[in-house]
Amino acid sequence: MTHQPDIQHYAVSVVGKDRPGIVAGITEVLFRLGCNIADSSCTMLAGEFAMILIVSHPRPFGKGRLFEELKPVCEGLGMSLAVRTLHADETERQEAGGEICMVSVYGADQPGIVYRVTRELAGLGINITDLNTKLIGTEAEPVYVMMLEAALPDGQTPEGLEALLGDLKKELNVEIGVRVITPVSL
Amino acid sequence: MPVRTILSYPHPLLKQVCQAVETIEGDIHALVADLLDTMLAGPGSVGVAAPQIGVALRVCVVDVSASRHGKGNNHGLLCMINPVIMQSSGAAVMREGCMSVPDYTGDVERSQEITVRFLEPAGNEREISATGFEAVAIQHEMDHLDGVLFLDRITCLKTGLFRRKNYR
Repeated sequence: MTHQPDIQHYAVSVVGKDRPGIVAGITEVLFRLGCNIADSSCTMLAGEFAMILIVSHPRPFGKGRLFEELKPVCEGLGMSLAVRTLHADETERQEAGGEICMVSVYGADQPGIVYRVTRELAGLGINITDLNTKLIGTEAEPVYVMMLEAALPDGQTPEGLEALLGDLKKELNVEIGVRVITPVSL
Repeated sequence: MPVRTILSYPHPLLKQVCQAVETIEGDIHALVADLLDTMLAGPGSVGVAAPQIGVALRVCVVDVSASRHGKGNNHGLLCMINPVIMQSSGAAVMREGCMSVPDYTGDVERSQEITVRFLEPAGNEREISATGFEAVAIQHEMDHLDGVLFLDRITCLKTGLFRRKNYR
């Protein structure tokens, strides 16, 4: 997104028990208000449906109006609602110079897998761009799976990152793999 | 020969099935030269198809030899007129981007090995077997000749978050 001074952006998040009609219910309000959905990601998590949207509207328009219009629909659907006004520097598309990697982590479920791995990445200045976790396996042998996509700073390599995560892999006794998924231009 | 502007979707030519070339004459040689110049001018570009520069003919160029994915496994520069895939097998997923669909990338599954038959600008018929990235690039460019974009083939909802300055 390029910065347009006469356009205001909002972050909208909606979470509630999954059922048909949630997306239509929320987007009907946005459509009626003349809002654009600039970016969005919506998915099922356990039995919940979670919507995260970046919504834009030409000024003058306010967060209060957006919230008040969405509130009755969310209440009707039993969903939580949050709206936040974005600053101009939050709406810029970011550019990645380095490699994009998929980091896969899985092993016996234990506290702290997400924290310990992501703390290492943060310490290396690696930006996580997408992250999914899932508890699978059986009750007797629960397995934790985390898949994340990350942008490496220029100069860092996937092999280097995998090596740096080697000690943690041993300590937690989990599998950690790093693969390049940088897009190819055709 | 000039570097031509790459058309972006929603230009209608990008969703059109292109005509086969009937005779390889001067205009086709000029078209191939423009495709090559345009490919060389695109940062990291490994192929361009005629509809991407505004010509609805079944012509495309591919060269993955300078790309890290194609190094060591390629046929060098390929100028393909009326290409046809004779055989294909295997499957591989790559995250693709396209100069005609800026700022978007997605995971696409394609055949891992293909045999493709085409005419070269000199008029001779040639058949090659390509694998890996070269096979992906040929399939991507040939899709353009049928009005198919990688968006039509995305199998995974994960999308790229970043605009890239340079592809690797």
